[in-house]
Amino acid sequence: MNQKLQTVLLLILLPFFAFAQSVITGTVLESNGLPALGATVSVKGTSNGTSTDFDGKYTLNNVPSDAVILFSFVGYTTQEIPLNGQTSINITLAEDPSELDTIVLIGYGSTKKANVTAAQTTVKAEDFNKGAITSPGQLISGKVAGVQVTAASGRPGDGPTIRVRPGSTLGGNQDALYVVDGVPLDQRNASLNTINPADIESFTILKDASATAIYGNRASNGVVLITTKKAKLNSELKIGYDVQFAVNQVQNYAHVLNADEFRQLVADQGRDPAVLGDANTDWQNEIYQNGTRAIHNLTVEKGYETTSIRASLGYTNENGTLLRSGYERATLGLNVRQNFLKGDLKLNFTSQLAQEELRRADEGAVGAAVVFDPTQSIFNNTGEFGGFFEYTNSTGPEGNAPRNPLGLLNSLDSQLDNKQARLNLNAAYNIRQVPGLKFTGNAGIDYNEFDEYTIRDFNSGAGARGNNRSFGEGFRRNQLLDGRFEYKRTLESLDTDMDLTLGGSFQDFTRQSTSRSSVNNELQENPIAIDDSALVTAFARASFDIKDLVVLSGSASRNGSSRFSEENRWANFYGASAALKLTNTDFVQNSGFLSQLKLRGGFGQTGQQDIDASFAYLSVFTPGQPQAAVQFGDQFVTTIRPEGSIDLKWETTDQWNAGIDLGFFDDRITGSVDGFYRETKDLLLFGPLPAGGLENGSFQNAGSTLSRGIETSISGKIIQTENMNWTLSANATVQEIEITDLAGADNSPVPVGGISGGTGNTIQEWAVGSDPTSFHVFRQVYDQDGNPLDGVYVDTNGDNIINDADRVRYKKANHDVYFGLTSNFNYKNLDFSFTFRGAAGGYNYNNVDSNSASYGSIFPTNTQTPLYVNSTVDILNTNFSQQRLQSDYYIQKADFIKLDNVSLGYNFPGDKVDIRASITGTNLLTITDYDGTDPEVFGGIDNNLFPRNRGLIFGLGFKF
Amino acid sequence: MKMYKSIIFLFLGMLVFTACEDALTVEPRDNRVTEAELFQDPATYRGIIAKAYAGLALGGQSGGDGNADISGIDGGFSNYLRLYWNMQELTTDEAIIAWNDGTIKDLHGHVWTDGNEFINAMFSRVNYQIAVCNEFLSLSTDAKLDEYNIPADVRADVAEYRAEARFLRAYSYYHGMDLFGKMPFTDENSDPAVLPLAKSRTELFEFIESELLAIEDDMVEARMNEYGRADKAALWMVLSKIYMNAEVYTGTSRYTDAITQLNKVISAGYNVPNVPYAYSFQADNNRNGAEDGFIWTINFDGLNTQTFGGTTYLTHAPVGGNMDPSVFGINGGWGGIRTTEQFVELFPGEENSADTRETFFTDEQTKEINDVGQFKDGFAIQKFKNVNVDGSAGSDTVGDFVDIDFPIFRISDAYLMYAEAVVRGGSGGDLTTAQGYLNQIRERAYGNTSGNITVGQIDLDYLLDERARELHWEAHRRQDLVRFGQFTTSKVWAWKGNVRTGTTTPAFRNILPIPAQELNLNPNLQPQNTGY
Repeated sequence: MNQKLQTVLLLILLPFFAFAQSVITGTVLESNGLPALGATVSVKGTSNGTSTDFDGKYTLNNVPSDAVILFSFVGYTTQEIPLNGQTSINITLAEDPSELDTIVLIGYGSTKKANVTAAQTTVKAEDFNKGAITSPGQLISGKVAGVQVTAASGRPGDGPTIRVRPGSTLGGNQDALYVVDGVPLDQRNASLNTINPADIESFTILKDASATAIYGNRASNGVVLITTKKAKLNSELKIGYDVQFAVNQVQNYAHVLNADEFRQLVADQGRDPAVLGDANTDWQNEIYQNGTRAIHNLTVEKGYETTSIRASLGYTNENGTLLRSGYERATLGLNVRQNFLKGDLKLNFTSQLAQEELRRADEGAVGAAVVFDPTQSIFNNTGEFGGFFEYTNSTGPEGNAPRNPLGLLNSLDSQLDNKQARLNLNAAYNIRQVPGLKFTGNAGIDYNEFDEYTIRDFNSGAGARGNNRSFGEGFRRNQLLDGRFEYKRTLESLDTDMDLTLGGSFQDFTRQSTSRSSVNNELQENPIAIDDSALVTAFARASFDIKDLVVLSGSASRNGSSRFSEENRWANFYGASAALKLTNTDFVQNSGFLSQLKLRGGFGQTGQQDIDASFAYLSVFTPGQPQAAVQFGDQFVTTIRPEGSIDLKWETTDQWNAGIDLGFFDDRITGSVDGFYRETKDLLLFGPLPAGGLENGSFQNAGSTLSRGIETSISGKIIQTENMNWTLSANATVQEIEITDLAGADNSPVPVGGISGGTGNTIQEWAVGSDPTSFHVFRQVYDQDGNPLDGVYVDTNGDNIINDADRVRYKKANHDVYFGLTSNFNYKNLDFSFTFRGAAGGYNYNNVDSNSASYGSIFPTNTQTPLYVNSTVDILNTNFSQQRLQSDYYIQKADFIKLDNVSLGYNFPGDKVDIRASITGTNLLTITDYDGTDPEVFGGIDNNLFPRNRGLIFGLGFKF
Repeated sequence: MKMYKSIIFLFLGMLVFTACEDALTVEPRDNRVTEAELFQDPATYRGIIAKAYAGLALGGQSGGDGNADISGIDGGFSNYLRLYWNMQELTTDEAIIAWNDGTIKDLHGHVWTDGNEFINAMFSRVNYQIAVCNEFLSLSTDAKLDEYNIPADVRADVAEYRAEARFLRAYSYYHGMDLFGKMPFTDENSDPAVLPLAKSRTELFEFIESELLAIEDDMVEARMNEYGRADKAALWMVLSKIYMNAEVYTGTSRYTDAITQLNKVISAGYNVPNVPYAYSFQADNNRNGAEDGFIWTINFDGLNTQTFGGTTYLTHAPVGGNMDPSVFGINGGWGGIRTTEQFVELFPGEENSADTRETFFTDEQTKEINDVGQFKDGFAIQKFKNVNVDGSAGSDTVGDFVDIDFPIFRISDAYLMYAEAVVRGGSGGDLTTAQGYLNQIRERAYGNTSGNITVGQIDLDYLLDERARELHWEAHRRQDLVRFGQFTTSKVWAWKGNVRTGTTTPAFRNILPIPAQELNLNPNLQPQNTGY
């Protein structure tokens, strides 16, 4: 027994001593026959390895003659070749589609997924939301933990609002930075709609600052990297054609009194019924129609040995649900890749051209339809005001009455035309003299030209007073020049892969517009508006993958913004992060159930400078308009206003992130959990200034916020067979944000959140210790039956006076939790998917109710001709005599779950043509307790939003 | 070799970077200009002094108060005159407002706090006006005039403008002193990097008095300046105002000094005009004869000086209910401002008074106010009308903006102050003269001598009431009531103290609070005014 064991041991160990160690050499080629630069060649089971040079050549020392050699290269299948006594192995690697998944984009570069150290999520085309989607952001709604997508309104061409983690910025731009194929878009004018959603390959959302610090100058609200589709080299000609046709309906109307209920109310209140009309008009029903949307996409792609081309043509045409609203868009996408110098120089040209036409309806009709007397008929008998019934006083249309909703819609002709060109040339050059060194540069321009007009018919209620026309045109331009050196090298002695990046970027932005509008019934040229700004960045990053176990990454950037004075212009931002790839340890490999385990942690700093004030540090003078002149004697003197300046500096955000990535059962189940903690200081926000200067308020560095959250996602391949697959993915985010500092010694709260009803009323307040969307309200007093008492509020400070000092902060609009659930199922050629999305913990201010539902509003006393105004049915609950705009009665829970889309598709494979047919329903179901039309309100003030649609979409796709 | 390349790359990189640094220096290319560009044109000074005057009339740099001067409030609301009027009128028996605009109802209810946005905006407006005047003064020093080679003829104008800038600054400090007691103090020599120190009410009084006396000789002679610009008489009126109220401001009465200044005004050639009282508040009041009684006006024009504050506000806001907007030369009322029954009762015969200054609109309006939010509760006042005396409407055919100039000071005010100063024991005047002045006012009001008064009737009660009848809605009432001790602790009117029948309110409300946000930003203003 003992003897046997010894013999076995000896036999096992013998090879290590008995066989000779030798040197092997060879060449590794990519599938296209070009040398693979930086491929790893190693002896299986050892740490002995090397990488190929720019000719794909390698030399591996100390190789036992029975060794198995591993050839690995990002994007390619790892090949194992037993040495069997050979001294030279030349191989051509095969592309592995599943391996391609493991390459992910990071800021200014890419890395293996396993080496990602930060919180970031990639969503690929196959996981996108289905439907006749016009705006790219909708593709990822509900898909990503930490990314809250507020659905677009029903306005044709509208895009969703996307927030990556809670906006730490209060006064600056809260939009993420979008980088399309390496070109950062103008944050205030991203115009994502000019990218055809069908051309998008993937979204990568960089959430934490260790990842975004390299984009330090505008990454405080996250970075979204968008990659468009490209054709592969050496690929067949592929032609695809897709068509989708959608029918949209308004999902929900405001719940107002109908004509009979309104007559009853008038009678119950003892008012004169003679003021009422004889009709029964459902105004909301009159202003909406079934909307339609048609989308066509044609793509052609082909890859040659050193060239690939992909072209796509898209066309979208939509008639909105609100009468006279519409959107039309044509896009042309082109990508050409050309390799030179045996692949050492890769040029990649991308262009996206788009032409949009937005037909703008008078959205005032949405609110007017809520309040217009339902007993009045649509038309008058006189033909006055275009035939639409309107209230008048002795001089014309009554200014204190609602306008006829159909009169509003029919009298307005308004359109915005936009032409956009986004061009980018990317060059990647492997510098032969230094193996592992690569230069990548981008030269890009994003340019759009728009012109718009609004003309109101004189013969209308809204237009009879005149001043009916405005015209405008202008352009926006964003030019980019960036370059970076990347140096990859394996430090064999340390068993470490090193990846260094050093680069710089210059981008300038110009916006210019001119406009004319009728003033005193004459068309007047308005002052030209020009805004210029520029950003310069130098950045560096170093990443080390040590023993394929520990990844360390550090980055630094130096950033300059033209928005700040020379003294404050520059700021440095740093990021550092680490990952522990426990997947590669025996513990995980042998656990039997764990297939992936990675711990990540990082810290990063980012800056914010994108405020609506490009020259705050300069003292300037602004001349007055002719209508703002001063009469001296018989002369009207144009004024010149001296303006103050303020020395602003960068707003900075520090963010910590810790995360874990998990995989179970051979990655049948995968998941991640990320936690973040973020502090933003020197907030750039608009606030009051002390008296004494020329400005009583301005952008200033005043205040701090703290936000934190936990993001989880889990995905399970519940069924995974040849014929049937079912994947279920869920994500949930818990987050909070609070203000920790504001201007001044007492941190005086700042009123925000303007509402309708009165002028200048606000319903929210920024205050230290509170969420920035906190409501600021009176506490309503209720009777025993739970009905609100008219105008009775709690004297919260006990001074026996009810005044604004009794308003308190109560609830907030931001949700505590939001989540998404996606199911993808396919059986043979059939596929079925759906997405649920929801949020909880946030509240809305129901401004539709608060503005309309009071007897003071219903029976106005400020019109020369008596008239009544309709209300939501909430009047029957409150019986409020006057508007009680600041009562907390109107703060209502806005939790919801929505079934965003359900899609069923079938593929008919053919010899020459593959055909796919699909049917999709969007926004099918909303589960909520909220009383208003739609609980999902960005910012929490619900006031006659363009209602969202429910849609049914038929799709057909052909692949030749 | 490698080394060289790296160095070259590094060098090139730095070169590019340096070039980019220059690219970060961007200058505005739109209609905004820098100081150096601006003063290429000497007419600039007229534009900037015009801005100092515009500060009283307009909310911002484009028509309808667009591109507003101050933030934190709606542009139309931010208008100086509109805010000042709200402070002086809505807090009194003369005016009450129906709207749900923030905290505006708190003014009439005497429950305002130091967070009231209208009080905040008034504070900002007053201080903004001071800052613009300071800026004018520092841009027009001899050194600057030399630097920009300003020609001699322009320099003569600039000297006048400088006196007027100092006058306008003193005028706003007077408002600050009257409303807020203390104020942050800056002048053209203040360092913008240093938080201003506070001047107490007494210190402000001393500054205003000395400043006005110092510039008196530099101001254009009474009635000799361009219409709309201030002259010596305007200055004498401000001096009269501070002397009349000196006891409130400093604890020391100065009625004799008031009479001295008023005598200068009265002898400067103004008359109670020989046109109906109503003409003074109509579209053509700059040329219909009423202008003879104006000492200083804030000018408005329906086409060229467009604001939603000023007289546009005073014309639209009081029109509602069954009132016919065409009578007011506007496209519609805003259904906001009415008056209390106590004011109605100041007119003998009330809504049927023989006094032509009584302009109540009563059709379907109730005299009593049960619901502040209902326009039809309370009589309306038809004082400001955007129609010319020939019946035609003002110049804005759209019907929004009005032409009516707002008389800051009228000769009637001087007469009434003269009488009051005499009654209060000031020397330099006498009751018989006062009686003559007062009867000029009465004769116009009644169209004949039927309303004339005797010397014996002239007492403080009469004068306070007569001031209300003659000068109501001209932004004097709060100041008058405070001077007569009737603003807070005595005298009640409907909804004073936020109750239907009215109640007295604490004396601390005789001055307004320093806005809380201002105390937060400038600790030099601490402590808050007592009571707030």
